[in-house]
Amino acid sequence: MKKINVVESVLQANDAIARDNRALMSGASLLSINLMSAPGSGKTALLEKTLPALAREYACAVLVGDLQTTRDAERLEELATAVTQINTGRGCHLDAAQVAEGLRGLKLDDIDFLFIENVGNMVCPAAFDLGEHLRVVLLSVPEGDDKVGKYPTLFQLADAILLTKVDLLGVLEYDIGRVRDDLSRINTRAPLIELSSTSGQGINQWLTWLGEQHRARATPVAIGLKDD
Amino acid sequence: MHEMSIAVSMLDGVLQAAARAGAVRVEAIEVEIGAMKLVVPEALQAAWEAVRADTLADEAVLKIEEISAWAECRQCGRRFEPDIAYSFLCPDCNRADVEIVRGNDIVLKSVICQVDRDPSAGEGTEA
Repeated sequence: MKKINVVESVLQANDAIARDNRALMSGASLLSINLMSAPGSGKTALLEKTLPALAREYACAVLVGDLQTTRDAERLEELATAVTQINTGRGCHLDAAQVAEGLRGLKLDDIDFLFIENVGNMVCPAAFDLGEHLRVVLLSVPEGDDKVGKYPTLFQLADAILLTKVDLLGVLEYDIGRVRDDLSRINTRAPLIELSSTSGQGINQWLTWLGEQHRARATPVAIGLKDD
Repeated sequence: MHEMSIAVSMLDGVLQAAARAGAVRVEAIEVEIGAMKLVVPEALQAAWEAVRADTLADEAVLKIEEISAWAECRQCGRRFEPDIAYSFLCPDCNRADVEIVRGNDIVLKSVICQVDRDPSAGEGTEA
């Protein structure tokens, strides 16, 4: 019997591809955003509102991860420069290799924003680095006001948190104070943006945040490239 | 159920290590799972039993060690062990803005196997 000491990350293959993805996208000066949430929290609806608004100033592309069907991609098709569907089959999350494959079909230099719509799931996507620059986590009012407390590890890694479907706040019993209270322990860095893709409330705040993030990234990347 | 894709990656690492060592059979593997990866040990065991079939590791026992998470406060640099099911609040500056510095990985620590001949008995030893 022989014991071989290995000590290597099981995720190293994924993480190496994720690093390549990030370098590729940074080199092209595009900002990539991994959208994560439970199914039905409004990721696609948000993109339906976001893409036409950004189109005035930016070129946007979308990678849509889904277990089955191309329904989400079809909804977005006309709204972005490029929309690529990634069917994960039984996979409950996107991985870096799937994103790399999606990137190969895009002209990265011509894109300012890449939205990666992850598979609807609040546990598995958090475990896999895709090479994205920012992580945005959505939670919708109908899901209940206990979501942040139930999935702290997902909300902890968010760069922004979007409370969606706030037009239902008057209809459903919902305590935003509970969400804010949970976030005060779990993530005080990420802004909480309250919005509704139906009424349009909060969409401008979300677009402003996106614009700020894009500008903040564009400058250091350009300097970084000069230094290399 | 991201345990299935983790099990597939684990098997790749195990079989590569086994091949490098000239193993004829893998008896057991030791894996560390970081708390932040939210792996359910029972689900990983079940996934491992499914993926190891028809390989050198088809009866290899999976030994799991769970690694707790450590966080570093981005504001003040304090390192602490958060209760990840409840809070990432820095005990010093009372803000929840942390980098996870431990417990955010899944590591294949070792592979216990039978080798047909001990490579160290031959010419030179393997690094």
